[in-house]
Amino acid sequence: MMRIAFSILAASLVLASTVPVAGHHAFGAEFDPNAPIKLQGKVVKLEWVNPHAWIHIEVIKDGKPEVWMVEGGTPNTLLRRGLTRDSLTLGTELVVDGYQTKDHSLKRANGRDVTFTDGRKMFMGSSGTGAPKDGRDSTEGGTKKPGGR
Amino acid sequence: MRPRHLTLGAFGFAALAASLLVTNVAAQAPAGIAKPAVASAKAGTMPRTADGHPDLQGNWSNATVTPIERPPGQPAALSKETVAKIEKGVVDRIQRLAAPSDPKRDAPPQGGDGSTGAAGNVGGYNNFWIDAGDRVAVVNGEYRTSLIVDPPDGRVPALTPEARERQAARVKRFQQFGEYDNPENRPLAERCIASFGSNAGPPMLPNYFYNNNYTIVQTKDHVLVMTEMVHDARIIRMGKQHQHPPAHIRPWWGDSIGWWEGDTLVVETTNFHPQQIFRGASDTLKVIERLSRVDADSLLYEFTIDDPATFTRPWSGEVPFEAQNELVYEYACHEGNHALSNVLSGERSQEKARDAAKKSLPRQ
Repeated sequence: MMRIAFSILAASLVLASTVPVAGHHAFGAEFDPNAPIKLQGKVVKLEWVNPHAWIHIEVIKDGKPEVWMVEGGTPNTLLRRGLTRDSLTLGTELVVDGYQTKDHSLKRANGRDVTFTDGRKMFMGSSGTGAPKDGRDSTEGGTKKPGGR
Repeated sequence: MRPRHLTLGAFGFAALAASLLVTNVAAQAPAGIAKPAVASAKAGTMPRTADGHPDLQGNWSNATVTPIERPPGQPAALSKETVAKIEKGVVDRIQRLAAPSDPKRDAPPQGGDGSTGAAGNVGGYNNFWIDAGDRVAVVNGEYRTSLIVDPPDGRVPALTPEARERQAARVKRFQQFGEYDNPENRPLAERCIASFGSNAGPPMLPNYFYNNNYTIVQTKDHVLVMTEMVHDARIIRMGKQHQHPPAHIRPWWGDSIGWWEGDTLVVETTNFHPQQIFRGASDTLKVIERLSRVDADSLLYEFTIDDPATFTRPWSGEVPFEAQNELVYEYACHEGNHALSNVLSGERSQEKARDAAKKSLPRQ
């Protein structure tokens, strides 16, 4: 019973912290929930830019190459973990699931889940537990102690 | 049910209208302004600038899991043991979201994956892009459940009837236009003009998402606070001899005048921009901020919101700012903003599809 009570309290504190913020864009305004897509292909270009990084991958469709752009998040958070645009080598094969832009003439999708072909998350799994800033990986940059301690 | 690997969906951050317009700004703060090499203020060795005032310069973060408003039913402060469990839960969640996925997974569900908020039923992107903070805020040794400390219930006071009418009128005004009709109808953050919510402020509040980082630079006459999101720079004129400009002059983050009260930097801001409406405030909003050094690694940031035309009473909060050993990066948002054009071209594309569908209907 205590455990349940604690879980509820913890969840309410953490979830309550996710107050409304203006995202750089509502993904719901950009991508089409009726156009789910699964892509697999090699990285041919990485736009390491704000507000969001874009990964260009070349997929083969009907025997022909096709380049798709996949939207991620801000590179700044990854830079602080020591990851740069050179951390993702061109030619790396990725598996992506997401939704295509509402304008279907564009070959663009959100990177809802971007992994290597063995399922590991992109940018993850090279050392430690793979979790960013979980404190268990001494190779992660920075000594930030947010929260007042 | 498929396992959820994503953050946007789980967090569901609602699109909001707030925001302000801003030019993307001023000089990037000098790289490498990390935390100053100082001794503890508690030990009586307050770091000071050449003119004798406390040295608040450096890079700081206000990321925390403590919400602005206290969740109903919570005490004002938590025990250390409870906090340890909460923070372990945050770390466990990060690890869970970092776990590998099935490489043979299918495309996500037709019709959307059920995500809410800005993830808008399409799921956003992986959690490894996120840096929302993983600690409960601690002020005066208390583990806080809200950043708001007054009223004592930790909640934003009720709006006045006048404020509710003003908000209703604003909603009505916006409803005249389609939200995707043109770039001007899109939120300022989406247009790369201003930061998430009140990240740059004032008041400067965490966005619970990422880049909650600030660079403070002091001179004798000015204090600059640069917020990483969206590279927003506030320039505070120092000295009570300054006056706020006439009411029609409305800079993006208002007009700020600062002065020292002992070792505390006090900043008064008025003249807020009409597109930077903080929680529905009126054009007479006044925000008072107080920044003081707690020790070598932290500042205490206090704020008071005073707007009798909007809130039934003034309200105040306290937020710890922690020194960063990391760089604050430029956030050159507009340069890479494919999203805005995607949003607008998406709507144009769907308009064409709707028009085509209408034309194909048999005539009555």
